[in-house]
Amino acid sequence: MATTVLSPRAGVYQRSRIYEWLTTTDHKKIGIMYVTAAFLFFLLGGVLALFIRAELAAPGTQFVEAQSYNQLFTMHGTTMIFLFVMPMLTGFGNYIVPLQIGAADMAFPRINALSFWMVPLAGLLLFSGYIVMDVARAGWTSYAPLSIVEQGPGQDLWIVSLILLGTSSILGAINFIATIFKMRAPGLTLMRMPIFVWTVLVTSFLLLFALPSFTAATAMLYIDRNYGGGFFNPAMGGNPILWQHIFWFFGHPEVYILILPAMGVVSEVLPVFSRKPLFGYRAFVIATALIGFYGFGVWAHHMFTTGAVFLPFFAFFTFLISVPTGVKMFNWIFTMWRGRIRLTTPMLFAIGFIANFLIGGLDGAFAAVVPFDYAIHDTYWVVAHMHYVLVGGSLFGIFAALYYWFPKMFGARLNEGLGKLHFVLLFVGTNLTFFPQHLLGLDGMIRRINDYAPDNGWTELNFLSSVGAFTIGISILPLLWNLFITFRGPRDAGADPWDANTLEWAAASPPPPYNFEVVPEVRSERPLFDLKYGHLLPAHQVRKSGASRVLTQGLGAHGGDRGVATGGVIPAAPGTTHDEFRLDSPEEKFGKPVEGHEDEHGRPRGITPEAPEKAAPIDPSARADHEK
Amino acid sequence: MRVLIPARAASKAAPFTLLALALAVAACGGQRQTGDPDVPTGGDNAPPGILPPHAVTEQGQAIEQLYVPILIIATAIFIVVEGLLIWSILRYRRRDETLPEQIHGNNKLELLWTIIPTIIVIGMFAATLGTLQKVDARAPQPEEVSANPGAAQQGTVALNVNVTGFQWQWTFEYPQLKTAAGTPLSFTGVGNEGPEMVVPVNEIVRVNLLASDVIHSFYVPQFLFKRDVIPGVNNQFDFKATRPGTFAGQCAEFCGLSHAQMLFTVRAVPRGEFDRWVAEQKEKAKPKPTPAAGGSPAPGTIEVSASNSVSFDQPSLDGPANTPLTFVFTNKDPAAPHNVAIENAGPNGDFVGQPIAQPSQTVNYGPTDPLPAGVYNFYCSVHPNTMRGTLTTK
Repeated sequence: MATTVLSPRAGVYQRSRIYEWLTTTDHKKIGIMYVTAAFLFFLLGGVLALFIRAELAAPGTQFVEAQSYNQLFTMHGTTMIFLFVMPMLTGFGNYIVPLQIGAADMAFPRINALSFWMVPLAGLLLFSGYIVMDVARAGWTSYAPLSIVEQGPGQDLWIVSLILLGTSSILGAINFIATIFKMRAPGLTLMRMPIFVWTVLVTSFLLLFALPSFTAATAMLYIDRNYGGGFFNPAMGGNPILWQHIFWFFGHPEVYILILPAMGVVSEVLPVFSRKPLFGYRAFVIATALIGFYGFGVWAHHMFTTGAVFLPFFAFFTFLISVPTGVKMFNWIFTMWRGRIRLTTPMLFAIGFIANFLIGGLDGAFAAVVPFDYAIHDTYWVVAHMHYVLVGGSLFGIFAALYYWFPKMFGARLNEGLGKLHFVLLFVGTNLTFFPQHLLGLDGMIRRINDYAPDNGWTELNFLSSVGAFTIGISILPLLWNLFITFRGPRDAGADPWDANTLEWAAASPPPPYNFEVVPEVRSERPLFDLKYGHLLPAHQVRKSGASRVLTQGLGAHGGDRGVATGGVIPAAPGTTHDEFRLDSPEEKFGKPVEGHEDEHGRPRGITPEAPEKAAPIDPSARADHEK
Repeated sequence: MRVLIPARAASKAAPFTLLALALAVAACGGQRQTGDPDVPTGGDNAPPGILPPHAVTEQGQAIEQLYVPILIIATAIFIVVEGLLIWSILRYRRRDETLPEQIHGNNKLELLWTIIPTIIVIGMFAATLGTLQKVDARAPQPEEVSANPGAAQQGTVALNVNVTGFQWQWTFEYPQLKTAAGTPLSFTGVGNEGPEMVVPVNEIVRVNLLASDVIHSFYVPQFLFKRDVIPGVNNQFDFKATRPGTFAGQCAEFCGLSHAQMLFTVRAVPRGEFDRWVAEQKEKAKPKPTPAAGGSPAPGTIEVSASNSVSFDQPSLDGPANTPLTFVFTNKDPAAPHNVAIENAGPNGDFVGQPIAQPSQTVNYGPTDPLPAGVYNFYCSVHPNTMRGTLTTK
């Protein structure tokens, strides 16, 4: 694809490549840097996890003593949550959201760069504990007063690092909200936004409401530690439960911050590789918003055993939050139902997400049963639950995103064979590691212990769990090799290698700095699908009452004809637009051409008759290649 | 559309097959539940399984009963959903280049899978509240009953135990069981095994939880229960052991360095045996005749103190060889009890100083056996992993 030179004088300002990356405000470069930094922290946090599992593989001391062990699980949790999953999802959001909504960049590009650069800085601060030989060791939850009593700079480094990360996320959230509300392409109403954009939007609101309280609490903890504050210190009249309330008021929405964008990825991948729209788009949006809303009403279910919370309220909301999650589950499965499923690597990871997340979700319903929570709270059962959600869920979603958007970001597809090997090893490893932990927890093995007695009967299952953890570790090797060979190989993926639905695939791979040559106009939540297949869909049967949204039928007869629509303004394929949103069709809501966006003939720009070949070259040979 | 009719038929049949499978699995679970005879095994040595350990308290049994139906519901949902998932993948693999029917949703179906889960979780919520009431119920103390006789429906508290958690041990105190000196019977954990809480079986025991430093959690797996031990918060719970036995317990809330070693046991015994045990302990606690005090410190007297739970204030001590040693130990740690013990200090193994010094208490330990010249390890037997030092005798 030809690149357009924005200004003939652009060449004058040649910068070195390093300078360019250090100073960039381009959302795509920042997105890549986010993803890269997060991936490095993932490897680091993974090594810490392997140390933990190596220590627990057998009773007795294998590698590390109690002190080092406590540091390991503190750093593992903090790294994986704050330095891996959050920046990784923010990175994909950064790269993909402006493309999916047809924008040229984020709303505040320089704040975007600032948000990113705080992440590696915070990571270095956190890990510098290993240089000053004092590492945080109060757990990622840093419960007061233990986090006050523990001496040394490690805990202070943890606090400062988290304050930085919190600030970075708050800035990022504001940026996403402004971008999504103000910079969407003409016709891209809220209810036509890709689900990934919706999940990023809801996540941003969660961040915006949850993180300030947490950032303030960490500052209070710093005062308690260093200036005798006494907010959380019972020895000075403070209240240790207060820390738990504030921490979990942040910490539970945080769980959804970590999982919602991954759900968004799955909701992008499933329709593309099932060749069907997402089943129940509107229900999905409502479910996402409800999860975000309920997410603020369940924090004290982490505190059932304190005896200091009003149990029925928090138990009820915890049960209730499983309903919208269940709706999503079924919507995903019915998206595949009667589809034409292509089991590519991103699709496999998305399916793996569903399979694992179901277990994590059912675990959640168990834990909501307060009396049962009395039994399993703070045991390995809870460790199993959160890892099914965060590894089985978030990590699988992240890998689905990586394999799915890699061609967009770097212009080349990752090798499918190695990708599938990666998937199989990770799927087996995840279940091998975390399923036995349910049984251990049920039998009374508590978390955060570096040792257990040999006569407890836990040795075999712990060994199995450690074997699983090393399987996960090994699963990363094919990925690294895959990245290596793909970066060395040709960048010939083309703009739309997956035959996808959303706008990012209408731009070149990788997109030019300004993303789109024309501002695309959107008529449904699948603009690119409309463009490619709109003419194949018969125009009829818009429902009049709310009975059914099965809109089109009998497409099989047109099988094989997959040419790009030409001639006339490309309409939204009748029936592919949700009929209930037809009232705000572009003619009514965006009736006037967007000013300054007319082409040389005075016609409104958007995806116009000329645009397809320009914006979305469908290379039949490229597609035939990967669909064999 | 051509192949859709058989697919539809199969899709209708699939959930029923899966449901039948789920019920079969659930039935197996139930069998294991009833097939296990109620043998008092004492410790928790049964291998881990999909069912929790058999509860040994009335409260725990209520939780156990709740677990089984939830496991059945969860297993059924698991099998239905994973079955649908696998079915969809296998059945709808791409076979040709056609575009499938573009189904955007189905309000009836979506309503169905909103309403059914809502009903399930509301049912679970109701069951939760019911069991919670049993588990968190507090029996009245006998003196409260004399004022209000109607309150004794479910029995009264037969025994109070004050539990104090501190880094990284427990103290169990029986406020109603006084020694001859008028102080309550009290047991502080020594070594990794921790203290033992002896309680009468089939009687209601009230546990009062206190912490002196950081948050701990009192957890007995076979009670299927834990309650946090929080400084400044006075938590309590009742339990009624339903069979005799020894049950392992452990601190469940991460509390720092030696969290993994913060163990204890609960031993439930019949009433007669409990009374004998109490009498025995009262006898043991009678003050021993103290050696004549006064004058200048005798040779072999060593002063030791401790300000925290991680170390003694004197990491190394010197003393005369072949002389009985007496340690004057001052506990300056506001949060935890300590003592002085010496490894391999004679034919009987370790010398362990008793009684354990409570905060701001000074206790004399000794005299020890005469120690030949050499280097000995001394430690606090409450914190045997962290509080250690060396004693050199010359």
